Amino acid sequence: MKEFLKLVVILTVICTLAGGILAFVYKATKEQIKLVEHAASIAAINQVLPPCDNVPAENTCTFDENGKSWTFYVARKDGQFAGAAFKSTSSKGYAGDIAIMTGINAQGNINALVILDHKETPGLGANIQKPGFKSQFTGKSIKDTVFKVKKDGGAIDQITAATISSRAVCDAVSSGLTVFKQHEIEITNQGK
Amino acid sequence: MNFLKELLKGLWKENPTFRIVLGMCPTLAVTTSVENGLGMGIAATFVLICSNMVISAIRNIVPSKVRIPCYIVVIATFVIVVELIMKAYAPVLHKNLGIFIPLIVVNCIILGRAEAFASKNSVILSAADGIGMGLGFTMALVVIGVCREILGAGTITIWGGKAMQIHNVDPMILMVLAPGGFFMLGCLLGLMNHIQSFMAKRQGHSYAPPKNMDCRHCTICKWGK
Repeated sequence: MKEFLKLVVILTVICTLAGGILAFVYKATKEQIKLVEHAASIAAINQVLPPCDNVPAENTCTFDENGKSWTFYVARKDGQFAGAAFKSTSSKGYAGDIAIMTGINAQGNINALVILDHKETPGLGANIQKPGFKSQFTGKSIKDTVFKVKKDGGAIDQITAATISSRAVCDAVSSGLTVFKQHEIEITNQGK
Repeated sequence: MNFLKELLKGLWKENPTFRIVLGMCPTLAVTTSVENGLGMGIAATFVLICSNMVISAIRNIVPSKVRIPCYIVVIATFVIVVELIMKAYAPVLHKNLGIFIPLIVVNCIILGRAEAFASKNSVILSAADGIGMGLGFTMALVVIGVCREILGAGTITIWGGKAMQIHNVDPMILMVLAPGGFFMLGCLLGLMNHIQSFMAKRQGHSYAPPKNMDCRHCTICKWGK
């Protein structure tokens, strides 16, 4: 009985200490992590948008569509609509969600896209991050292009042996574009 | 001198991957490229050193009946602490190593060293053991990663910079997939045993197989006779 108590007490003390340390570290790093993540998403927004003279990260409009909340970051230059960026996620990735930031320019073409987060297989699916794949989207008209892989009758050349990952990227881009088309007038007038 | 001995044994004589054959899960999973191997190795080394030192420091307080849960709590705590601090103050490093950090918890080298070494030796020796084992693990992962990446992708890339590329040859994609990991690990283990037996013979010793090895099906000792 005495030994039993000793085991319980020691294990409890160690776990409590570990819990306390974790809570302390979590609290101490929370703000800093938020700052870093915010900076990363601002960097991605600026990367995918054409040159502008406002702060797109602060000039936003949000819509609820398909059960999700969509935020568009609108860029303006000399008072004119210059482009919009949005973050979209596809759950059709090979190993978890793929998050993408897509930028559209004033001519209605894709300006650029950045893969924010993915868990695809290194050497195969992870090649969606390579410029060779991403650059296929650049300059494609959002009205006339079918954002599907060529296997499915679309305009995007899938990566060999990583069709699922390629499909997921197309899925994320086109789901965001659907929302963009529905609210195009509101988005282009945002921050006027 | 003891410090140096404990530090160096992890590199070759008791290399965690090729000699002790521990931590096979991360070894096979992350060595698809050099940078993944290097990342996993560095992250594991850091946790290994810290956990070895703490476990060695509390080794006289913890009763042997509950030692394994205690070790796991210590290791898991370190992993989360490392991840949070890295996320906050070294975001670039976290972006490269991020996915490997949660994997360290299930890396049996860490628990293995805690049980086999840190729970019986002083803090300083345990730190030396952690550094040596960590470096040995990193080295092994990088070697496997180099072989697999060259054969499977035809490139060597370290954190965005292309160190080399082979042109005009179609890479064997198989080598970056799961079976390629087994092939490469088997080949390297065999090569290491061969070198070991060759060196032992040159020095005039008979080659001693690794402890606990099943001798019934092994012909290493008879090579070259």
